[in-house]
Amino acid sequence: MNNFIDFFIEAGKLKDIERSGWVLREVKNPETIAEHTFRVALMGWLLADKKEKLNAERIIKMALIHDICEVYAGDITPYDSILPKNKKYLKKLMRTYPRFSNSEKRELALEKHKKEWQALVKITSKLERKLREEILDLWLDYEEGKTKEGRFLKQVDKVENLLQALEYWKKDKNFPINPWWIEAREIFNDPFLIDFIESLDKKFHSNEENTFPHNSQ
Amino acid sequence: MTDYKEKIYLTNRGLERFKKEYQGLLETRNLQEEDSESLVLINQRFEELSTILKTYELIQAPPKHKQHIVNLGATVTVEIDGQTDEFTIVGTLEANPSLGRISNESPVGRALLNHGAGEEIIISSNIKTIIYKIKEIKYEL
Repeated sequence: MNNFIDFFIEAGKLKDIERSGWVLREVKNPETIAEHTFRVALMGWLLADKKEKLNAERIIKMALIHDICEVYAGDITPYDSILPKNKKYLKKLMRTYPRFSNSEKRELALEKHKKEWQALVKITSKLERKLREEILDLWLDYEEGKTKEGRFLKQVDKVENLLQALEYWKKDKNFPINPWWIEAREIFNDPFLIDFIESLDKKFHSNEENTFPHNSQ
Repeated sequence: MTDYKEKIYLTNRGLERFKKEYQGLLETRNLQEEDSESLVLINQRFEELSTILKTYELIQAPPKHKQHIVNLGATVTVEIDGQTDEFTIVGTLEANPSLGRISNESPVGRALLNHGAGEEIIISSNIKTIIYKIKEIKYEL
């Protein structure tokens, strides 16, 4: 039992780690990794229900573990290798979508993958073999898109991120939403999710205030 | 204009990867206990791979005189808002934007297909428009 307790305590640290993309953009009280994970799991389950032949249980499990390596690896962003120290330049950079050559992308992805894999092996090391292997297999599927569930969840993860960015932008119109708009047009390939992000665009950019969710407090 | 939709496109590298996984699964499957949970998952994957390997179309470089046009398998250098980026257009199964491989079914991938160097591609929605200028097209398959 102690092994489970240790694992849950470590995984619970995600409740306190703020997502780097928001911290870099100086969002007040930014979302934590655990908060992001919660909605990825919820979206993965409900959106998968609209697709044929997707295993929702596999998707939910994958969602729950997709970022647990970040307890030790941290939340690595595509901007990390080009972050300027100067605040003015940083602000400018955060308004753009980071661009690299294919060889630079491969190098950065490999470095990130290595760091996250080591962290994942460490955090799962005390779990019994069957559970450990299941978590490692699910994470590799999410990373490499081996199955249709892995490919779907990878995109749902980005949809959640886009929705959060739109919510920040709605609260503060100075929030730089452009990088998310651009990324969405390059990375999404699932027809259902492409329709979904078009609907998100329409909802958040409509002038009718009553189309936005109300704050009940 | 070629219609690429709803077909399984693989590069040689992707095909080799799937064949290797298929062989591995064949061996693993025989070692599983009947009715075990892992056997169910293995069989699901086995079925998926069988369909892929039966129905795929191989991505090949077009003949030299057509290599100035973006086709599947092309590595395209583009300029966007003064920045340069590079994409290789592949089928959905091999797409991995963090490695530079974007799907022919993504809005940008789809829009780049059948265009040539020097041309501008416009991606727009009701709120924003962005221009991708094609600088260079290579085939490194």
